[in-house]
Amino acid sequence: MAKTLMTLRSQPMQVGVILMLALRNLRRQLRRSILTASAMIIGGWLLLFTFSLGDGTHETWIDSGVRMSGGHVTVERPEFRRSRKIEDRLSADVRSTIERALEAPEIAAQVVAQSARLTINALASSPAGARPAQIIAVDPLAEAPFSMFDDQVLEGRYLEPDDRLAAYVGIGLVESLDLRLGSRFVVQAQDTAQDISGQLLRVVGIFQSGMPEADQTVIHIPIQTAGDWLGSDRDVTNVGVVLADSATVASVATHLERVLAEPIAHGDASVLEWRESNPALYAAVAIDNFGNYLVYGILFTIIAVGIVNTVLMSVLHRHREFGVLQALGLTPGQTGAIVLVEGLTLTAISGVIGVSLGLLTTWYFFGDGIDFSALIGEDMTFSGVVIDPIIVPMFRVSRLSQILVFILVIGAAASIYPARRAATIDTAEAMKFER
Amino acid sequence: MTDTDSAAVRTDGLWKIFQQEAEEVTAVRDVSLTIERGEFMALAGPSGSGKTTLLNVIGGLTRSTRGEVVVAGHEVNAMSNQELARLRLDEVGFIFQAYNLLPVLSAMENAEFPMLLQGIGAEERQARVRDLFERTGMSGLEDRRPGKLSGGQQQRVAVVRAVASKPALVLADEPTANLDSASSEALLDMMFELNRDLGVTFVFATHDARVMERSRRVVRIVDGSIDSDETHT
Repeated sequence: MAKTLMTLRSQPMQVGVILMLALRNLRRQLRRSILTASAMIIGGWLLLFTFSLGDGTHETWIDSGVRMSGGHVTVERPEFRRSRKIEDRLSADVRSTIERALEAPEIAAQVVAQSARLTINALASSPAGARPAQIIAVDPLAEAPFSMFDDQVLEGRYLEPDDRLAAYVGIGLVESLDLRLGSRFVVQAQDTAQDISGQLLRVVGIFQSGMPEADQTVIHIPIQTAGDWLGSDRDVTNVGVVLADSATVASVATHLERVLAEPIAHGDASVLEWRESNPALYAAVAIDNFGNYLVYGILFTIIAVGIVNTVLMSVLHRHREFGVLQALGLTPGQTGAIVLVEGLTLTAISGVIGVSLGLLTTWYFFGDGIDFSALIGEDMTFSGVVIDPIIVPMFRVSRLSQILVFILVIGAAASIYPARRAATIDTAEAMKFER
Repeated sequence: MTDTDSAAVRTDGLWKIFQQEAEEVTAVRDVSLTIERGEFMALAGPSGSGKTTLLNVIGGLTRSTRGEVVVAGHEVNAMSNQELARLRLDEVGFIFQAYNLLPVLSAMENAEFPMLLQGIGAEERQARVRDLFERTGMSGLEDRRPGKLSGGQQQRVAVVRAVASKPALVLADEPTANLDSASSEALLDMMFELNRDLGVTFVFATHDARVMERSRRVVRIVDGSIDSDETHT
């Protein structure tokens, strides 16, 4: 009777041996390793830089879009978005709760600007005719850092704290009503008593946002004037918050939802992220991202096929060597692991180099960005957003991690088949190979 | 055979049949053989006689179609691939016609390799290899890569690699086929001394007359079967 198999000890994984052989094989095939690595380096470089550029572009779109509308996060009554009526305004309690919540240190650090507005539909009239208008009643000091309207003065000036009957009007509406700087005109809207009430205003400034919808309807007036006109005192219909980074939207919205849990439960308030309040912009960003993912998916599939080809050729070239390793006592799994480690090491090193180059390129363009005005012009609008032709790339740690993980997964996936080939060779047959 | 089986190898009714497309080719035919520890023996026969296949079956590089193979007391046919790998590592040393040193390792590292896999410490590994390098005239060439060694030198490293881990037997497949006569003689002297001084069991597959002359036992294989089994004194 032969000895039991238990007398043969099981073999440890031999990580050190596998790593040593893998690294030496990469060095041995230096030219092939460098060629494969070059593809990964260029891929990683392009991936990081173009995603930084894409993230910077999207951040600019989002920033521009939310400043022209209600902010990254908006609090309003649930019915307000559809009705735009003065009765759907926030109570004083809700407003003060919001203001206190935004003063919390962990939230305040994220907040760039906040503005409480009374936004209603109205009818603007002059001797030349009448046009539907959107009245945005604001505190001029709070609104200036919040929106971009104050930077878009065509004539005159933006609202000031002491203004009483002042109106800051879009160029389209000015032209429709045949107004000019200093002209008087009347706006009519439903007041808090549900009567139609009129207010005389004087044009102190004319703006041109580049967005026809805003230019033809928007009128900014002081919130004090609106309160006296409509009987709403200092009540507002919505409070908007602009954040330093759109990535923090969810945490700020969650914080507000927590502190406003009771009014939200009673239907007195709702917290909207920009994705909900500006779905067209969200769709535009999502489509653009999808396009990027698709293009890079295809690019990396091509790179992966290249890696499979290179690693597989290396396996076929070393068929006999793998046979020798197994004859000397390496298990099939350990033989496959050498190939897997080779692929992963090559991918990891070239991925890190590529991503580092991407970071350097991103850093180089951090200050002034890249001017695309020759390609897209100065006045391009898109999903209600004026597109800034100067794009500044944006670095996010989460994006860096995503890209590194993606590159490693590609490397691992591309090495699995060659590793399997190496693990499943017929040892005796492999010895017959002449290299 | 008993639990106290002292033979290096025992085969009983061993067959190896290859399927080549629709045709069956019998490479090993009903071979029953016992190789005692410390033997210096040759499996002789012309090309295609089945001696390399028999060597591969004994070494666990390929499985037999039927019959029993016991190597150093372990029944090879009952082993998993993992266990076979461990058997090759612990009990069998291989010497190949084409040397088959690993090109990414130095002469010293090649010779140490099986011991590295066995988990033997660096000090002991290097002491064993240096001793064997001295015996085989390889001292001073420890750091050279295989590409920088002559055929004879590479085969000496292969012999050191095969014996340094102290296996139950060393299987050598045409070890002198790629060497000139002087190198062949030197290599045979070296293996003979290792057998005599250290008791290493050598089994050669060969058709080299010099190897057969030096072997104390010659088993002739014809068409996969044992044709004769002669022991020289």
